[in-house]
Amino acid sequence: MNNDFPIPDNELQRLAALKRYNILDTLPDHAFDDATKLVSYICGVPIAHISFIDENRQWFKSEIGIGVSEVPRDISFCRYTIMESKMVEINDTHLNDKFKNDPNVTGGFNVRFYAGVPLTTPDGYNIGTLCAIDHVTKELNENQRNALSIVAKHVIAQLELGTKNAQLDAQKKIAEKAVLARDSFVANMSHEIRTPLNAIIGFTDLLAQTELDEVQRDYIESVQIAGENLLLIVNDILDLSKIESGNLAIDSEPFNLKKTLKHAYDLLKVKTQKEVEFNLFLDAEMPDIVVGDQGRLNQILVNLIGNSLKFTNEGEVTVSVKKIEETEGNYKMKFSVKDTGIGIHKDKLTTIFERFTQAEESTTRTYGGTGLGLNIVKQLIELQNGEISVKSEPNRGSEFIFLLTYKKAENKETAPKPMSKNDLGHLKILLCEDNILNQKLAKSVINNFGFDLDIAHNGEEGIELLSQNEYDLVLMDLQMPVKDGYQTTDYIRNEMNSSIPIIAMTAHSLVGEQERCYKVGMNAYVPKPFKQSVLLKAIKTVMNPDNEAIHKRVVNLSFLDEMACGDPDFRRDMIDLFIEKIPAQTAQLEEAFHNDDHDTVKKLAHNMKSSLDIFMLEDLSNCAAVIEEEASAGEFTSETLDKVNILHCGIIEVVKILKEL
Amino acid sequence: MRIILAEDNDILRKSLSFFLESKGFSVDQFSDGEEALHAIETNNYDLILTDINMPGKSGMEITQHVRQHINSDTPIIILTSSGVEQTELDSFDIGANEFIAKPVSPAVLLVRINKLLNKRF
Repeated sequence: MNNDFPIPDNELQRLAALKRYNILDTLPDHAFDDATKLVSYICGVPIAHISFIDENRQWFKSEIGIGVSEVPRDISFCRYTIMESKMVEINDTHLNDKFKNDPNVTGGFNVRFYAGVPLTTPDGYNIGTLCAIDHVTKELNENQRNALSIVAKHVIAQLELGTKNAQLDAQKKIAEKAVLARDSFVANMSHEIRTPLNAIIGFTDLLAQTELDEVQRDYIESVQIAGENLLLIVNDILDLSKIESGNLAIDSEPFNLKKTLKHAYDLLKVKTQKEVEFNLFLDAEMPDIVVGDQGRLNQILVNLIGNSLKFTNEGEVTVSVKKIEETEGNYKMKFSVKDTGIGIHKDKLTTIFERFTQAEESTTRTYGGTGLGLNIVKQLIELQNGEISVKSEPNRGSEFIFLLTYKKAENKETAPKPMSKNDLGHLKILLCEDNILNQKLAKSVINNFGFDLDIAHNGEEGIELLSQNEYDLVLMDLQMPVKDGYQTTDYIRNEMNSSIPIIAMTAHSLVGEQERCYKVGMNAYVPKPFKQSVLLKAIKTVMNPDNEAIHKRVVNLSFLDEMACGDPDFRRDMIDLFIEKIPAQTAQLEEAFHNDDHDTVKKLAHNMKSSLDIFMLEDLSNCAAVIEEEASAGEFTSETLDKVNILHCGIIEVVKILKEL
Repeated sequence: MRIILAEDNDILRKSLSFFLESKGFSVDQFSDGEEALHAIETNNYDLILTDINMPGKSGMEITQHVRQHINSDTPIIILTSSGVEQTELDSFDIGANEFIAKPVSPAVLLVRINKLLNKRF
């Protein structure tokens, strides 16, 4: 193509320089519009613009009086201006040989006066122009010319700023990724440390139950204390990394608040020095049962009370709890932990909640600790939408006060049924676990329960044993070589078509992990390091599914029967259609949900509702309705996730029941 | 009696269709609104039973088209799960004869269909 415009010698580099700024075809920008207005005011002209010239067009970043976004380069006045190093000023185009016959002079924009300043990059390329244009002849004075050049420099500065910001953004992203990598490294390391530690503590406990002489018992107790302390530190680090990565879940389950407080009190009472009086004051109006995270409250209390006891050599440590507000659905509780200990200096009060800080460096030497405790406490309280404050005076004592709001429980807590292992009879259990120490530990515990245990070192071996022998129950570690816990469960459920109860055992306790376990078809979940009672309870639950009472699902086919007018074949067809379609739709819905694809989720949830209604699955239909509603609103919440999970598990149950019909 | 049924949920469509056929109707079923509308244009149905939310054309659009472009007074029953009063009013407004909220009771549906067909003949 024969271009009818002059081309600068450094055209290629010039174009490359222009491209670097990523300015072409961007949206309007105030900074540039203001500069254009300034040009129009300064020169008193009706037309002004800031434009950039690429291979074949002049594109206007900002303009007044032009009304188009670009013009071909070969009819642009500025094609000449970018050839210059200084401002081009044409006072009367009619007298200018180059321009007098230009279509933009004889017609078009009727250009009579033109002043254009090349926009020159710091490395010397003219990538565009800043122009003032009028329909009458004009001559700029020296001040106006200077002003134009200054504005042109500002435009370039603005461009540079944009590029720098983009670079900074990119750097920030890299930095964020690094932080994420560090967090996941810390989380993984803590996990790796916890696994052997779990074995150390478990075996020490077993050893402590054997016959020992006095010296041995003393040694064992030391190992126990050291192990538990180490576990606390590792847990601190793991908690922090979970908080950082947003992976820490806050439970919302009914629990007995008074019992929790008394439990924490009893636990710490034993650590109290003789000269210290340790009190627990509970407000008479305090509710028994609230809905919230018991474990985290316990963690907060143990941490704060532990600190107070540690730093108080005489006097008293008092824990008091009061209901300060009650609304229709909530209780607002005030917890105070007050001591007469060493106190905290005024100028340290603001930093004690920061990470790795203790009030005095010497504190660490005298009292130990990681310096993470208060930071975790603060973050745990804030994650529960609460707040914490501290009052203190050196050598007089400290008071930590935190406020937490708990939902009211709907029903009274049902008294837990006394549990004995005898009514389970003699169970044959298969353990899939790769860690030898954990294997031994589980074996002793299971044998203590009076059950038999076979061990598979990985999922593959587990499947083999399962196909050769009869088992009542599988204990499944999640992280194993060859086939992990998820894959193995998937195989057992879908390839072997076995409904043998499977209990997941994991040290991760991350958000979503529990859901994932249920999703692949496991029946229960026991976090490691496991407590014997928790494991036994899980075994009991999965062995007597009827104990789950409320959860036993019944599929009511009366509606379908009415539709089928008593035709068994049609009824069967519809059931098969449900089995074929609904799990697939659920899977699609989950995928769309995880991709934040509101539109697809809405459509699927809507469609599924009709199917669920026919099978009179009212609760699941309601779930779908909520999901549809939230998808319509364009925002998923944790409630949506709950509903998606309930829907998922419900569908699995229903399909199982339908298949057995 | 020929009924056209437009409903995109397979299970519901097949069930309703089976139910109505058991009651002696002949039912043409469609899961896409556009295809349903095409069938309405080329066939003579005694009654139109349509879901409101459908791919292709919605139940509202079908109703509007039947009343305004085909100028037909074939009875139309709209099925919806919205439970919103305005939707109900809107569907009457554009010319639907009946409105049934999901989950649809087959017995109720049958009564309404018979009522509409009897009135007509």
